[in-house]
Amino acid sequence: MHNRFIAILAALVTLSVAIAASAQEKVSIAALRFVSSAPIFIAMEKGYFKDQGLEVEFKFFDAAQPIAVAVAAGDADLGITGLTGGFFNLAGKGAIKIIAAQSREEPGYDFVAYVAGKKAFDAGFTDPGKFPGKTIAITQTGSTFHYMLGMLAEKRGFKLTEVTLKPLQSIANVTAALKGEQVDGALLPANNAYAAEKDGFGKIIGWVHQETPWQLGALFAGSRMIEQRRAVVEKFVAAYVKACADYAEAFLQRDAAGKRVFGDKADALIPIIQKYVEPKPSVDQVKASASYIDPQGRLLVKNIYDQVTWYQAQGMVARDVDAAKFLDLSFVKDHLDLPKR
Amino acid sequence: MDLRLEGITHHYDGLLALDGIDLAVRDGETVAIIGPSGCGKSTLLGIVGGLLKPTAGRVVTVGAPRADSLNPFTYVFQDFALLPWRTVAANVALALEHHRLPRAERQARVQAALALTGLADFAAALPRQLSGGMRQRVGIARALVVRPAVLLLDEPLSALDAQTRELLMEDLLAIWARERSTRLYVTHNLDEAARLADRVVVLSRRPGRIREIVAIDVPLAERSGPAIAGVREHLWALIRDEARDAEREVQHG
Amino acid sequence: MAERTAPVPFRGGGFQPRPRRLVPVAVFVAVIGLWQLASARGWLPALFMPSPWQIVGALGDMIDSGTLGKHIGASLSRIALGWVLGTSAGLAIGLAMGIFSAARAAGLPVVSALFPIPKIALLPLFILWFGIGEPSKVATIGFGVFFPTVIAAYTACDSVPRNLIRMGQSFGLPAAAIVWKILVPGAMPGILAGFRITASIALILVVAAEMIGAQYGIGAFILSAGNLMQTDQLLAGVALLSLLGLAVSAVLGAIERAVLRWR
Repeated sequence: MHNRFIAILAALVTLSVAIAASAQEKVSIAALRFVSSAPIFIAMEKGYFKDQGLEVEFKFFDAAQPIAVAVAAGDADLGITGLTGGFFNLAGKGAIKIIAAQSREEPGYDFVAYVAGKKAFDAGFTDPGKFPGKTIAITQTGSTFHYMLGMLAEKRGFKLTEVTLKPLQSIANVTAALKGEQVDGALLPANNAYAAEKDGFGKIIGWVHQETPWQLGALFAGSRMIEQRRAVVEKFVAAYVKACADYAEAFLQRDAAGKRVFGDKADALIPIIQKYVEPKPSVDQVKASASYIDPQGRLLVKNIYDQVTWYQAQGMVARDVDAAKFLDLSFVKDHLDLPKR
Repeated sequence: MDLRLEGITHHYDGLLALDGIDLAVRDGETVAIIGPSGCGKSTLLGIVGGLLKPTAGRVVTVGAPRADSLNPFTYVFQDFALLPWRTVAANVALALEHHRLPRAERQARVQAALALTGLADFAAALPRQLSGGMRQRVGIARALVVRPAVLLLDEPLSALDAQTRELLMEDLLAIWARERSTRLYVTHNLDEAARLADRVVVLSRRPGRIREIVAIDVPLAERSGPAIAGVREHLWALIRDEARDAEREVQHG
Repeated sequence: MAERTAPVPFRGGGFQPRPRRLVPVAVFVAVIGLWQLASARGWLPALFMPSPWQIVGALGDMIDSGTLGKHIGASLSRIALGWVLGTSAGLAIGLAMGIFSAARAAGLPVVSALFPIPKIALLPLFILWFGIGEPSKVATIGFGVFFPTVIAAYTACDSVPRNLIRMGQSFGLPAAAIVWKILVPGAMPGILAGFRITASIALILVVAAEMIGAQYGIGAFILSAGNLMQTDQLLAGVALLSLLGLAVSAVLGAIERAVLRWR
């Protein structure tokens, strides 16, 4: 009799677990296999999504553009990637909304470097103020690198037209052009900048975070997804923010001198990141590419307005695009640097 | 200039095509070479003009060609071999262009050749605008313009219809009356041979050997109808059986 | 006795396409009209497919800003230079392969091995060899044009009737005269047909060539419009390319008619 009762109880428990599992909401997110996508990897591996009752599917792409297109077209529910001119043009059509932060350039956290070619450096290209008159390699027109140069031009008071831009499509081509001394300089992610310096063909002459901190990337969702499955998006953001906090605790610590320190917590998270990032990075590479991500997922809101304005001034984003219409600030509390309106 | 063929023997891929052809052609003579298809008559003509190398034997000239001959051995081709992108006059001039001639003389020679072949009014026409007979006239004019010592005619009328052939034969006779050259005339058409030649060389079929040489004593001007019927009969009797064999042969390759 | 008469029914005709000048225009107008209607009615979402009117607007913006001429000029000069260089080299090698057995034996395996390589895959190499300036762009187009020209030239040589060459020899024409007066003109139809193909290849490759370090050019414009998700401008660029293709085709047609009048 007693045994029988336990058996029934066990069956009931199994059943309820099964029902709970089947009741999990399916959500897909489009992302790059980059270290900057770390929070979603952490949330997945640490079970934060599951805790929220979400069954998350990753859809990986090899460029930022298709991620935004996939979300706009409804092929993925959410996306996480860098903000570009193309992103804003797409967002301006109303199909996607930015809801939380991804990477940003934050003082003290090396992410993208201004790199001078060896020869140009020797000839005096030693400071980010000396960009005018130089030939600079970027990946694409309207890429984040393009915008970073635009911000620098504004800060240092020169005209972007004084710089000759060479769009070369990929970081590999940019590196090759720098190596072959076909350009005077380039903007390169930390990893590639360190490698250029190590191989002797490039010199880091400054970091973007020292000149112009800004919001690099964001988590965004399809507009229809927000209208129809708002609760699911809220749960996703909750898990995401929790993972952001973990990430910040592990990777964004600095000692009294301001130098970044990576402790046990970083060591614990690195294997998770290595599992998803391709090509598989070394421990040092993960540390070098670990960009600043706000621990609470908060956006530098005004900067996003500034970005749109800048792209519009360049003629790269349509006039009718309005940041207010594609920002949904209701999912994360206390966003930073709100514009005064 | 006389011409002597001495023991011309030729193999194609191990197949004996011509076997020991000996022939002497006198200056100014017209010799027709006939035989069933596959007897190697066109091959023989190629060898005489130096376009083909015989396996054995040689062709020798006796005496010098006339002084004004620019191209002693000159062909008239069955398919005319005209350059379709050149006008009639330019096709004729092609044969002169690589010779050092005063411009006026070159033009005069072309005009003369065109006049002789009745092409004076068609100098600016393109080959595609001409009938087959007119095209072959261009081929003949091009041959005459270099004043050949030996004219090598390779089935010149075979690509033409019967009426045109008749007209051209008359023209050829008229031209030959004014033009001094030796002619080797290859044909499978007995009529042409009987009408145009001083002597007819009958070749046997595979390997090509000289079977008989028939001299035609009738003057050229009188060779119509019954006058040469006997010659024609005789030639036909010589090649008839072999022509049948040739016709029944299955083509390989 | 009066026999019944019956006309023999006509059974011929048809299977003989004749040019109808108005039909292509009508089809073109109808397709664009339908497209505009579908866009205006919202059947085609603007996010995925801009309307013809928007594309015309994008072209208008280019004219207003004066960049249209710069883009076309930059692309045309690259196409022209690359095509001329690739064609000259291709004709030289192709004719040599058409004339000399040794050149053919040496060249054919090399050409067969290199022809199918997508030139875009060689872009990084071209950057190393020719830099990121004009030479690498011209080289991309030139290489793309070179191989088909070689193949067109030597197959065209093969198609020249041998009896014409024997005729040349029988009149004692020197070898050079046989090449210039018989072989080359005889190969012209095949070579010109090759030009039609290589002209299209040059247009296709200009987009690839302008991936690398180009500020102006229709290809660069299309790429940047793609990067910026400016679909109307992207299609405006594509329309420009196809207009350019039509123009080039018309020019080649006129050249063909002039050079091949004898056909």
